[in-house]
Amino acid sequence: MSIHDKKYAERIAAQFAKYPTKRSAVMPLLYIAQEEYGWISPEAIQEVAELCNMDSTQVKSIAGFYTMYSEKPKGKYWLQVCTDLPCALRGADEFYEELKAYLEVEDGGTSRDGLFTVEHVMCLAACDKAPMLQCNFHFMENLDMDKMKAFIEEKRAEAKKHEE
Amino acid sequence: MSDTVKIYIDDKAYDVPAGMNLVDAAKMAGNDIPVFCYHPKMEPVGMCRMCLVEMGSIQKDRASGEVLLDDKGNPQIRWFPKLQTACTTNVSDGLVIRTNTPQVDQARENVVEFLLTSHPLDCPICDKGGECPLQNLTMEHGPGSSRMVYSDKLKLDKHVPLGDLIFLDEERCIQCARCIRFQDEIAGDDVLAFHERGRSLQIITNSDPGFDSYFSGNTADICPVGALTTADFRFGARPWELTEVPSICPHDAAGSNISLSMRLDRDHGGRAIIKRVMPRQNENVNEIWISDKTRFGHHFTRDEHSRLLCPLVRRGGNFNETEWKTALEYAANELQLAGGSVAAIAGSGMSNEDLWELRQLVTGLGGERLGAWPPTHAGADLVAQVGVGQGTNLGDLGKGDAVLIVASDLEEEVPIWRLRIKQAHDRGALVVVMNGRPTRMDDFASTVIHYDYSKAAGAFDLLQKEHGDTARQLTGAKNLVVIAGAEGVDLAGSRALMQAAANFLIESGHVGKPNNGLMATFPGANGMGQYYLGFTPEATQDIIANPPKVLFIAQADLLFDDPAAVSWLKQVETIIQLTLFAEEPVPGVTAALPIQSFAERDGSFVNGERRVQRFYTAQGPIGQALPAWQVLNRLGVQLGLGRSKLSASILMNEIAQSIPAFAGITYKALAHVEPQFPLVGGDDVYYGGTAYRNKGGLGVQIPAAADNGGAVTKGKVEKPAAIKASGGQLLVVPATRLYNRERVFRSSELVHPRVPDAYVAMNAADARKLGIENGDMVSISAGGSTLKVRAHVNGAAPQGAVILPRHLSDTPAPLAITAGEVSKA
Amino acid sequence: MNVLRGFATTFKHILEEPVTIQYPEQSIEFQERYKGRHELHRYENGLEKCIGCALCAAACPADAIWVEAAENTDEVRFSPGERYAKTYEINMMRCIYCGYCEDACPTEAIVLGHEHRLSFTSRSEAIFTKDVLLVEAPEGTQATPQRVRPGTFDRSIPDMEDPL
Repeated sequence: MSIHDKKYAERIAAQFAKYPTKRSAVMPLLYIAQEEYGWISPEAIQEVAELCNMDSTQVKSIAGFYTMYSEKPKGKYWLQVCTDLPCALRGADEFYEELKAYLEVEDGGTSRDGLFTVEHVMCLAACDKAPMLQCNFHFMENLDMDKMKAFIEEKRAEAKKHEE
Repeated sequence: MSDTVKIYIDDKAYDVPAGMNLVDAAKMAGNDIPVFCYHPKMEPVGMCRMCLVEMGSIQKDRASGEVLLDDKGNPQIRWFPKLQTACTTNVSDGLVIRTNTPQVDQARENVVEFLLTSHPLDCPICDKGGECPLQNLTMEHGPGSSRMVYSDKLKLDKHVPLGDLIFLDEERCIQCARCIRFQDEIAGDDVLAFHERGRSLQIITNSDPGFDSYFSGNTADICPVGALTTADFRFGARPWELTEVPSICPHDAAGSNISLSMRLDRDHGGRAIIKRVMPRQNENVNEIWISDKTRFGHHFTRDEHSRLLCPLVRRGGNFNETEWKTALEYAANELQLAGGSVAAIAGSGMSNEDLWELRQLVTGLGGERLGAWPPTHAGADLVAQVGVGQGTNLGDLGKGDAVLIVASDLEEEVPIWRLRIKQAHDRGALVVVMNGRPTRMDDFASTVIHYDYSKAAGAFDLLQKEHGDTARQLTGAKNLVVIAGAEGVDLAGSRALMQAAANFLIESGHVGKPNNGLMATFPGANGMGQYYLGFTPEATQDIIANPPKVLFIAQADLLFDDPAAVSWLKQVETIIQLTLFAEEPVPGVTAALPIQSFAERDGSFVNGERRVQRFYTAQGPIGQALPAWQVLNRLGVQLGLGRSKLSASILMNEIAQSIPAFAGITYKALAHVEPQFPLVGGDDVYYGGTAYRNKGGLGVQIPAAADNGGAVTKGKVEKPAAIKASGGQLLVVPATRLYNRERVFRSSELVHPRVPDAYVAMNAADARKLGIENGDMVSISAGGSTLKVRAHVNGAAPQGAVILPRHLSDTPAPLAITAGEVSKA
Repeated sequence: MNVLRGFATTFKHILEEPVTIQYPEQSIEFQERYKGRHELHRYENGLEKCIGCALCAAACPADAIWVEAAENTDEVRFSPGERYAKTYEINMMRCIYCGYCEDACPTEAIVLGHEHRLSFTSRSEAIFTKDVLLVEAPEGTQATPQRVRPGTFDRSIPDMEDPL
């Protein structure tokens, strides 16, 4: 595992091309690293620091400041459920509780199969389509538990197939 | 100061320099605006809000520019609706501030209360307690009682090692970012940062090793709370129990001004020992910063296990402890038998007074040769000629100025110069680095020129021929300082390089003025003093070639420095050694006499900028050690060569009379101090940190020959034959590491984890050819010695050369560049 | 006449009980506030209260107290928190029993007790060291240094039932 993998070379080059200095590309590169590792691992920090010609302390600082970067290992699917007031009024709280119960996890926890990490977050600016969540930074809207169960089982099946 | 503007503080008018930071301006005017995050050496950030003041400006008519008056005839003032941070304001004409109104008092009280919401209030066990800005400002401006519930405070880790030298107490940190900004703005080692945010915000380091910087100790000085403490002083004493003794760093050519904090210690038999080393302000030398080697490299002064405690003499085959009287009689007898064949080799840790007495003794006996150790770096005479002009301050270099660093790994050799030149670079100075390999200084250089090590002595030819643009930029600069090292050259090559540097400066007229001229990274604290008192590396070479009957070796670790020393020392009949350390006296030594370290006596050093600076007696002697000058003086008296002398200051008077460079220099002149800006020390800990105010003297800079309109002429550059590696050999380039296993540094155990294991840096292409992989043990045969070290295959060495750091293993590395065999061990 | 008045006073006092007692066979009862020889106290679990802050030494008008501090670890723990007194000495010839040290002590470690029978035959004997000043560990507890569970005593003022 490494973001030095060939498959990222083009994207990394494109990011560097966008900015006047290498240092400026640190955030897009952290996204790429998170995609590769699933989280911002110490190796990811080292690699990004080397690529951007920064001290790794500064990279870690950035990863720590922004909540979009996770410094803890995450499941393959990172489900961020909005539970702010407008969503809560549309039942996001119950939805979140049910989701956690279904996956048998605590807030911020990862399901036993290692596929799903759930946590509650602040407003994601989709209040009209609540309950909603963000799965690996893609919105899933107008949810209920049936839809969610279908999604989870689908992904589980996919993963199983992949294993075989 | 060019323009001044009129500002009004609490209804009083002051003239202050235009554009000055308001906190600094108020400080000069005698009005202390309390601050936590602001520091006069760094850019303001306005994070702590402690400096809030009422601010306004005098209204002027736009058309006529006349001051508008109100009904009563007073100037109209437009006040900002809310309090403003003084630290983010630069003074301008007509600025009005009030610092004594109820609103300002209230704001200060509230900020202090906010900072204390989760403060652990553990002042009794805090190292900063007693010299703590937070403590002081709380007493002065705080609410007096707390509304916070003690048990509700956040409980965080109180013992977080940031590397081996600095500890973080997360509970005490007030997140002012002074340490982070110091590392970024001043040190240039960007290894501290904030992590997380809000209440979870913490200082972190992710470097390997942690807090990887040679300047980390300074962050503890400027920390306005007790969040950062040094491993050395942790719980060592309370600040008010310490006695401050001004001193000079004994480790490098910068001559950093330091203050030794002394206290009696039961573990050391109730004697006074150095509890901590703190910077002492000297804006021309080290400002208020010191390197970690200066700060943590003092333990040898009290190390009774490694220091020589009493004189030793060899009688028959036995080496016995003896009385001073016997030892001196014995040594005097040997000297009388020598019949004038006497010479001396003095280390660069010897003070001027020691060197003077040694010179008197050797010349009095009819000897002529006074050798300087280590004989690696020639050209001190050129520094005396065209060295930086009187009044030089590297802190003045900026836009339009230039610095050329050649053949030196400045960070490892003289870290404080590296720190100050990094800042000059930030201010816009052109910094050009020339070396045979990449060094840390490259990060702070505008232009980096790499040359082939075999042509190192001709670096200036290369500069002028192949990098004409850079050379023109340098010669055309307003001010030009050249800092020359001796990496990759032998002594003859070093002379050629220094001469070329001097010629380069003379040709472009960059001599005889402040901030212009030559500086050299002579090893040790007193390389220039050696020259002024007549000790030269050339004489050392002569001594090695034609050994005398009796040789003085004074404070020089020949065996650890030079692999060839063992063999040539055998040809000397009698060796009289003056040494700090007991272990391994030179084989065949006749008498080993214990001398005192810099902390035990008075003396003076001349730094690389030719500044004579004095250090004071801080502690009692270890064992029966005497100051070297006293040992030599007593020997002289024994031999009927002079009168007995009572103090170091008398010796300085003698030096001043006999050596023109020292004319007029007395201990009193060296102790002279003038007010410096920014104001640090005393009650100003909240402002400049805990660096000490200079009470021991700013030193006196010896004028260079070119100063005051003195004429200097270019000399002939006599380039020695290039050192080439042939037939499978590689060039072995000895290099300096700041943290090493030199005897003066070996007692500082807390820095041991930072001393690298012995290694050699190799180029990947060379390694491949020799079948060596990264981490392999290799054997290097060069200059008469064979070392077994670990190979670091990386980009740190150019092809065809290996970089072999000195003083990392017990087997010495060659003194100078040489061709050698490298093979897998 | 005056002579008679004088004798009246004498005779009145003849009938009173004597104020003098047969010391050392007899001894008076001390007031609680009596300031005798110093004691360094312990917590109920045997840890020393003294944290080596040297405020007693700073408060001492006679400069009689000498403190040197060192750092605690969980393996070798003398007192709660990070700091303990490695050396604690009081020069009893200098001490004037003013009790300022007691007032300055933030942990009520140093207390002037009721012991008043001090004698020494040499100057060095007059310097009372820590092992002399420190009270016995309470029964059932271990004397310092103790080996403790990591993290239990990370504050200089521990969360104990009765911390003082």
